[in-house]
Amino acid sequence: MMVGMTRAQRTLYSVLGLTGFLLFWELSLRSGLLPGSLVPLPSSIPGVLWLELLDGIWFDVVRSSLSHYSVGVLLGSTLGIAVGISAALLPRFNAAHAWLARLLRPIPPLAWIPFAIIWFGINPSAAAFIISIGVFWINYFASYSAVHSIDPGYDEVARAFGQQRFLARLTKVSLPAAAPGILSGMRAGLGQGWMTVVAAELFGIPGIGQRMMEASSLLATDIVVVYMLTIAALYATFDFLFMVVQRRLLRWQS
Amino acid sequence: MTDSSMTMPPVLSARNVSLGFDDTTILAGVDLTLHPQEFVAVVGASGVGKSTLLRALAGLLAPQSGRVEIPAAITRDSRAWSMVFQAPRLFPWRRVQGNVELGLEGLSLSKAERRRRALEPLALVGLDEFAERWPHTLSGGQQQRVGIARALAVQPRVLFMDEPFSALDAITRRRLQQELVELRRRTEAAIVFITHDIEEAVLLADRVMVLGNGGMDQPARVVEILEVDMPLDDRRDYPEFAPLVQRVETIIGSY
Ligand SMILES: Nc1ncnc2c1ncn2[C@@H]1O[C@H](COP(=O)(O)OP(=O)(O)O)[C@@H](O)[C@H]1O
Ligand SMILES: [Mg+2]
Repeated sequence: MMVGMTRAQRTLYSVLGLTGFLLFWELSLRSGLLPGSLVPLPSSIPGVLWLELLDGIWFDVVRSSLSHYSVGVLLGSTLGIAVGISAALLPRFNAAHAWLARLLRPIPPLAWIPFAIIWFGINPSAAAFIISIGVFWINYFASYSAVHSIDPGYDEVARAFGQQRFLARLTKVSLPAAAPGILSGMRAGLGQGWMTVVAAELFGIPGIGQRMMEASSLLATDIVVVYMLTIAALYATFDFLFMVVQRRLLRWQS
Repeated sequence: MTDSSMTMPPVLSARNVSLGFDDTTILAGVDLTLHPQEFVAVVGASGVGKSTLLRALAGLLAPQSGRVEIPAAITRDSRAWSMVFQAPRLFPWRRVQGNVELGLEGLSLSKAERRRRALEPLALVGLDEFAERWPHTLSGGQQQRVGIARALAVQPRVLFMDEPFSALDAITRRRLQQELVELRRRTEAAIVFITHDIEEAVLLADRVMVLGNGGMDQPARVVEILEVDMPLDDRRDYPEFAPLVQRVETIIGSY
């Protein structure tokens, strides 16, 4: 944070920065400094969004993308958290899968596209699968290290108070103690999901990505920008909602 | 200890217990028999094996040889033993109430009974008003009191306390020592109390068990057991108090 600025001043500068950028962009195009075929006029974006909304196209592609996204994120998070926690709690399982994880981990989600198409065909499952991969790894590592770094003293407390069973320790110590780490992993996964959603749809699965590809082949850069902003808005909304839930769940923290 | 408690069966008996890690033995030949309401303090230099002994007596750690028995079984609504740790070790994700209920979970108690059984010891340590608070909003002394309430809630036959007051400031420590004296009148539990504060040991205990080094490369052992023959109230005022503290200090100093 900058010294000597009030919140209002910071907001003012932020607004100035953003409008200045848009104004510069608009004027560069109007003055011919930038060729109009490369970027759209900012002032044309609201109108184009309105048309996409009127046609119902916006709702259709957003609905499709949201369903790929939700399935992918849900799947990736659930599996990532489950495998991460198991690895941290069960030494044998951890040792058994450690090398496999090290081998698979560096493979970027998009490298799975060929297999996704072979296994699922060009359909929503393929997109969800690709999205789930990146989300999986983020949740896996976050959960593993969250559980791994729990103060062993808590486990001793559980044992001293008759909660030595695996299930009791899992629900009464491991999960709540690791919750801050697990939840930040989930939040990072929510962001990672949006990064892959467009790419996963580029090869013909209906959704925001496909619509952007279509638009770019027609040089409709204004439509491309509409959907870039759509993704930004969706990401911000999900992130905000999750943050509210996260705060609520972690209200015990100082 | 009262004479009637001596005729009752012991709540804990340890026979020739040796403890250690891997193939090194750090403490050997410990015998201890505890009857209801008895209070044994264990003193000794830091690192001599006091905490390890306590964990073995509680069954959290298997002895290398010898036997530990806590004959009392878990009942419908109580546990054989419980423990107060050096740090409060409350679960920060549970409210005070939930922390005190921890040991009651898994017993045959209704939710309402659990609640009541947690509020009782909280009132005893003066914190029933704080039942709905999160642990991080409490001071260190208050947190340690909650830890004591958590241990009392299960109505243990044996209460293990591992330097429970050592992390507290002098004033809080004095107050909690006084509370523990009061508490002894109201609980059936036998207490094994670890401390490195000799005065504290003499202040609270019926017996003081001194652990000391066994010599070059030898495991530590019980070097002396002293009876404290003073009424519980205001022990510091008795003429025997200071000499007894002095004696224990001398014993520890010579090992
Ligand atoms: N988990 C452990 N593994 C190996 N050595 C340990 C372990 N816990 C304690 N020790 C060793 O056992 C000795 C006694 O420790 P402890 O019982 O904590 O002593 P005290 O409570 O009397 O200060 C120390 O030398 C300590 O280093
Ligand atoms: Mg210790």
